[in-house]
Amino acid sequence: MLRPFALYRPSTLAEASALLREHGEDATLYAGGTELLLLMKEGLVRPHVLVDVKHVAGLGEVVAADGAIRIGATVSHRTVERSAAVQAHCPLVAGVARHVANARVRAAGTVGGNLAFADPHSDLATLFLVFEARIDLRGLDGEREIPLDAFVLGPYETARRGDEILSAVRLRSWPVGAAGAYLKFGLYERPTLGVAAVLVPDAEGRRVSEARLAIGCIGPRPLRLRALERRLRGAPVEELAAGRADVASAEIDRIDAVTDLHGSADYKLEMAQVFTRRALRVAAARAAHHVIDARYPYTVVV
Amino acid sequence: MRVARELVIEAAPEALWRLLWDVPRMAACVPGCAEAHELAPHQTYRAHMTQKVGPISLSVALIVEILAAEPPWHLALSASGRDPVVSADIAMRVTLDCAPDGTGTRLHIGAEGQVLGKLGALGHGVIQRKAEETVDEFGRRLARMARS
Amino acid sequence: MPATPTPSSSSIAFTVNGHRHALEVPTHALLLDVLRDRLDLKGAKRSCDMQVCGACTVLVGDAPVSACSYLAVEADGRELLTVEGLGTPDAMHPLQQAFVDHGAVQCGFCTSGMLLSAKALLDEQPRPTEADVLHHLRGNLCRCTGYRKIVDAILACAAQSGSAA
Repeated sequence: MLRPFALYRPSTLAEASALLREHGEDATLYAGGTELLLLMKEGLVRPHVLVDVKHVAGLGEVVAADGAIRIGATVSHRTVERSAAVQAHCPLVAGVARHVANARVRAAGTVGGNLAFADPHSDLATLFLVFEARIDLRGLDGEREIPLDAFVLGPYETARRGDEILSAVRLRSWPVGAAGAYLKFGLYERPTLGVAAVLVPDAEGRRVSEARLAIGCIGPRPLRLRALERRLRGAPVEELAAGRADVASAEIDRIDAVTDLHGSADYKLEMAQVFTRRALRVAAARAAHHVIDARYPYTVVV
Repeated sequence: MRVARELVIEAAPEALWRLLWDVPRMAACVPGCAEAHELAPHQTYRAHMTQKVGPISLSVALIVEILAAEPPWHLALSASGRDPVVSADIAMRVTLDCAPDGTGTRLHIGAEGQVLGKLGALGHGVIQRKAEETVDEFGRRLARMARS
Repeated sequence: MPATPTPSSSSIAFTVNGHRHALEVPTHALLLDVLRDRLDLKGAKRSCDMQVCGACTVLVGDAPVSACSYLAVEADGRELLTVEGLGTPDAMHPLQQAFVDHGAVQCGFCTSGMLLSAKALLDEQPRPTEADVLHHLRGNLCRCTGYRKIVDAILACAAQSGSAA
């Protein structure tokens, strides 16, 4: 049983923001409800007002333009999975959306809701970092656009303020020739570790010209491994593909991991090293157009 | 959860102790803690704490008991209470150990305890982090107050 | 102009298993409770109550939904399918027949959710691979069968059918 609430269905973002401003802490945004309804059932949040943004025009679209994909806040994971535009411009995103939670959550849950809830175990919040994601926020006082990195501040904490609403996320397509992978490891409902890797080979295809690596789930928020990315410039693609390159990362060791049901902090950091190497291996094999049979226990390889 | 922090306060141990022993004033340095008042002098206090973790708000009436006091070096207290709205039971033990450090005081803060109940659904990691942030901010505010 | 709130009680109308229903429901009512308690459709079960186990799966349009975590008011104007609408004991749906033929039912608690998830899959992919079936059933838990016979039943049903399930 849920506690009673009033449900508003605004048709514009301005109306939705006005409702947030009017009701303050008593109101909460609602789209797929895949996290919200669970928290409400537990009594952990008790909003008197739900502001349903599913009927706001323009929030449910996927638009491709100028090497970027704009995914509206109320686009479901299922829609992302099936979107021709996403498959054409960032197929890894479609592939990862396919593995979020389960089919029912994918049908109802939205990209905007996922990012705004900022669960540390979010696949998309990790993956989108290697697409240089930017978040559009709109409120009554104006609009702003910030990098995803600056939007997710910590567990369940974002930079969204007051009556602002996350209206869309923008992803940049990778350069031509780039190849990537997302590895998700865990035994439980939420993943224990998520690693996203992208490699851009140079003109000859032999060495890495640019690398992007993001790790999620184990720290307070997903992180890019910038130092390792820099170290990988010039690395031979074949060595990475063979798993022979040294990709041990001191940055990983500095991640603020905490011991919990997913494992001890030490274990998580150890696995992060292992899966970073594996993710780079898969990405490098794809960059070199090799067929790779990457199967690891309790791991989804996208 | 368990937190241990050490910091140097720009005040002599005796001066710092005057602040610590003024429990309502010390409690005011805990972020989210308000209305600490005395039930039995230097023995029992009541304090109200509010915290927010993401979308979840915690609001607890805490009973604080002084467990041990060895002025100006050691203070141990317990804090416990329940938020019925989110079904969270909090039981903490806090130790404050002081040692001279030049003209100042080296303060070691130890906080140990648990948050039981539905709030645990957020995961131990989130609660541990929140506890660490709270202790860090407490240390900063205490240092500021001791300096002034 | 601010949108008017849905009052604490709403009139909704939807079709369940081909039958139209018009109801007054509280805004905070969950679909599972409306199906079980108001419409006496007990096939969908409350089990984990958090969208993990799939025992409460119903179809809203072509999409599988966790009725335990879906507001009844969201079903307004929609077409719903529960296990009761899949077939009857005398006229079973091919999926139900396949489950019987393959011994894919033990305690039966997960079964309605399994059937509806399978139907959603076969409606979209009439010839799924075993990997497809396993992927789509990831959100439906069974404590009895070990899943093997459920998967066999679904694949057999897909192999047999010439038309959409």
